[in-house]
Amino acid sequence: MTAMNMAGFPILTTILMTTIVGLLVIIFIPPEKTKLIKQVSLASASTGLALCLWLYHAYDFHKGGLQFVERVLWVKSLGIYWFNGIDGINLPMMLLTSVVLFTAVWTMWELENRVKEFYALVFLLVAGVYGVFMSMDLFWIFVWYDVSLFPMYPLIAIWGGTRKEYGAMKLTLYLLAGSAFILPAILFLWAKAGGHTFDLFMLQKIGFSLFDQKVAFLMLYLGFGILAAVWPFHTWSPVGHVAAPTAVSMIHAGVLMKLGAYGVLRIGMMLCPQGAVYWSHLMALLGTIGIIYGALVGLAQTDLKYVIGYSSVSHMGLVGLGLATMSVNGINGAVFQMFAHGIMTALFFSSVGFIYDRTHTKIIPELGGLSKTMPIASAFFIFAALAGIGVPLMASFWAELLVLTAAVKVFPVAGILACVGMILSALFMLRVVQRTFYGDKNPKWEHIPDISRFLAVPRVVLMSCILFFGLFPKVMLDVIQSTVIPFVTRF
Amino acid sequence: MTDFMLFLPELFFIFGALLFFVFSLRKAPNPAGYHRWAVVVAAVGLLVTVASSHQEGMLFFNCYRVDLFSQIFKVLLALGTIWVIFSSGELKGIDPRQHAEYYFLIFVCTLAMMLLVSSVELLTIYVSIELSSYSLYLLVPMRRNDDRFSETAIKYFMVGVTASGLMIFGISLLFGVAHTTYVPQLMKVLPTVIAQPGAIVGLILALAGFFFKLALFPFHIWAPDVYQGAANQVTTYIATVSKMAAAAMIIRFAGLSGGASPAMVKLLIVLSIASMTFGNLVALIQKDMKRLLAYSSIAHAGYILIGILTLTSQGYACAIYYAAAYLVMNYSVFLVIMKVADDGHNLQIKELAGLHKRSPLLAMTLMLGLFGLAGIPPTAGFTGKFLVFAAALNKGYLFLVIIGMVNATISLYYYLIVIKAAYLLKPVKEYPAVHVDLWTRVVSIGLVVMTIYLGIFPDQFLSITESAARTLF
Repeated sequence: MTAMNMAGFPILTTILMTTIVGLLVIIFIPPEKTKLIKQVSLASASTGLALCLWLYHAYDFHKGGLQFVERVLWVKSLGIYWFNGIDGINLPMMLLTSVVLFTAVWTMWELENRVKEFYALVFLLVAGVYGVFMSMDLFWIFVWYDVSLFPMYPLIAIWGGTRKEYGAMKLTLYLLAGSAFILPAILFLWAKAGGHTFDLFMLQKIGFSLFDQKVAFLMLYLGFGILAAVWPFHTWSPVGHVAAPTAVSMIHAGVLMKLGAYGVLRIGMMLCPQGAVYWSHLMALLGTIGIIYGALVGLAQTDLKYVIGYSSVSHMGLVGLGLATMSVNGINGAVFQMFAHGIMTALFFSSVGFIYDRTHTKIIPELGGLSKTMPIASAFFIFAALAGIGVPLMASFWAELLVLTAAVKVFPVAGILACVGMILSALFMLRVVQRTFYGDKNPKWEHIPDISRFLAVPRVVLMSCILFFGLFPKVMLDVIQSTVIPFVTRF
Repeated sequence: MTDFMLFLPELFFIFGALLFFVFSLRKAPNPAGYHRWAVVVAAVGLLVTVASSHQEGMLFFNCYRVDLFSQIFKVLLALGTIWVIFSSGELKGIDPRQHAEYYFLIFVCTLAMMLLVSSVELLTIYVSIELSSYSLYLLVPMRRNDDRFSETAIKYFMVGVTASGLMIFGISLLFGVAHTTYVPQLMKVLPTVIAQPGAIVGLILALAGFFFKLALFPFHIWAPDVYQGAANQVTTYIATVSKMAAAAMIIRFAGLSGGASPAMVKLLIVLSIASMTFGNLVALIQKDMKRLLAYSSIAHAGYILIGILTLTSQGYACAIYYAAAYLVMNYSVFLVIMKVADDGHNLQIKELAGLHKRSPLLAMTLMLGLFGLAGIPPTAGFTGKFLVFAAALNKGYLFLVIIGMVNATISLYYYLIVIKAAYLLKPVKEYPAVHVDLWTRVVSIGLVVMTIYLGIFPDQFLSITESAARTLF
């Protein structure tokens, strides 16, 4: 590859710029004009969504490999490049990010408190997320990774709910402790490769020694694993979800946690394939524990957001297990699960957010019989719960199927335990649905009107996403597979 | 004539110092007038320094070297000086009758540090560092009618003279081993005798004087008290400008070893780890902003040392970058302190409550400065940490880097507490309004832009520091 090979229009930088321009425009709008701020936010998020949809459409999965490449030298002496590209692994993630951002901005339409700062920080966060997904240079991946983390602190601490300051601080420190492993690992690989380049693909060609791979992969796995809520580093996640405001929970559980798994896959498994194989048993073990632990703890929760938080731990365990199999099906399933789980949790938090806004409680025993007073709002949650269980026709069904079949083949014991975990999680989901939405009506909530058409739009978008990819999983699997098949040959 | 041009920045600061010496002889003080004069002198001083930044040559029987390395640091010194003087408009912490002396000593101190970064003869170095130290010994006790802090100046002086005693002893050992006090000569001789205990002990002791200035563990004990006890502007000067000179001299002395001394590297690693860890852990429990920043400066001394202890030209370049970034970020924070506590009292963290409503711009300057100190992208502080860690890993110091990063995470906690105060806490009582004049606005925006620009586009500045570091060899 030459130093400059910007084939045509820099679409990826443009997608990144939609968020940064949105952020800058919001900064210059006076804080009283909340309506205008929301309109600008929505316009910027929809531009990003439209561009990502176009990108998805334009990606040629028959050809596979890296497309839409942008590459400019940034810092000469260290070999840092502004290097973006799209392949089958980050394309679904880009789409996921844009969908979740779009729906999250819309979901928060009723926000009144410090609107300007809220949307500015959300766009900063999402700029980081887009940046991590599109960058193919270790320096920028790390920069964007940190950029996506620190806005979480004010977002939770200012607009959050239950124990917000504690949750915000815990989350921020945990995640930045993760980067305390990631940065040394990145620099370690860079130095071992001679200190000339942070270019992911040039580093991949170098072939590190087995020992270096083991060391670097372990650090990357621990660092990114914290963000992916790998057991036992998951404790920030339910606390953070519960404390965060709706849109932030959506982005956080929907997209941000995926950064962790993506980092393990993109940097760890790509640069240290032998190291990954060496540690794959550890990954499978922690993944399986996560699945079962998340489901069991979820069973005992009474707070709706905690329930979703622990179900996320469980589902992200599945992603980890899928990656650990190092097989085509397993990684396919893991990436698909990242996408499916992202959309699904966004729908979960979005519907809980509405219920909480209206009833001011998210404690399950205080709710009850909601499907009779607000049938549409309840339907969204129940739909998400069905997706969470992995009912056929939902996107997550295919993802779980792929991961579990691969896991049973590679790690029989872990695979079977994971299946049990899935049954457990189905059990606790159904239990929550039954207690919250069926059963006796709570007279306190009778006067509450159902969700308005306007506010239902983002939830419907998320729902149709789940259904679409559940009915046509090939649309996504073809894309993912085009990259995963050559990827797996390296193990 | 060319010699005269080489020495122009120093001559100019001598002129500035003399001007205020004359002012100090007047009977009726005129603080506002002094401030205007000082700003003009410092501004012209900065311009002169920048204009002569590409000069090269030797002066005074070759014991004074003007090169890119010294000129970069002179620019940083002049920049820091004008910032400090700019914020001295409301010098409430110091008696108006002493304002002329205050400016006089600031200019003398900057002059001494400029001499310091150019000196390549151990005795000139020693004289210069003493000149700068004595100016600071006088500046610290200037704080008006505060008996609580009278201990501060004595402590500073005692620790300072001890460090300087160790330093002169180290210099004498170096002379004993190498039979020369001329730095270029030492650079040739020392690597051949570096295995001798005398050489290593001499070098380390000679470094002690600068470790004291940089507040590196275990020479840090003055820092919290002096930061707290001196007037806000003096603290700012000590925390920003004088660190630059210290960093420059540690780089120059570390270069003497020729890069081949495992014993010294080990010692420096230990000092760096101790400094980072101690500084960050103690900072966690501070309530006073200046004390907090004192402990954070101890930690940052450790980070700068990481770049230096690689003993490579890349490491020095990264350390210079880090020092410059530190100057900008630290001044951003101090600017906010001086503006919020404009009556000159010691600012407590809780007094920052609701700053984002009282002055959104200052709150943003504070936040970016603190994020920079914590090493969060896209600030210069992040890029600086990234660079020094990269240099360290190029030499294979993986554990040092992991400890550095863990420390960065710890430090985030106390920086976040300050940011939380500025953005989240509701004031418990009505705090006086913050006056932000036009110039403060301009400077704050300039600092914010600089912090982010240096962070995202390090290439240009880094290539300058790289050529500067090469002139050391």
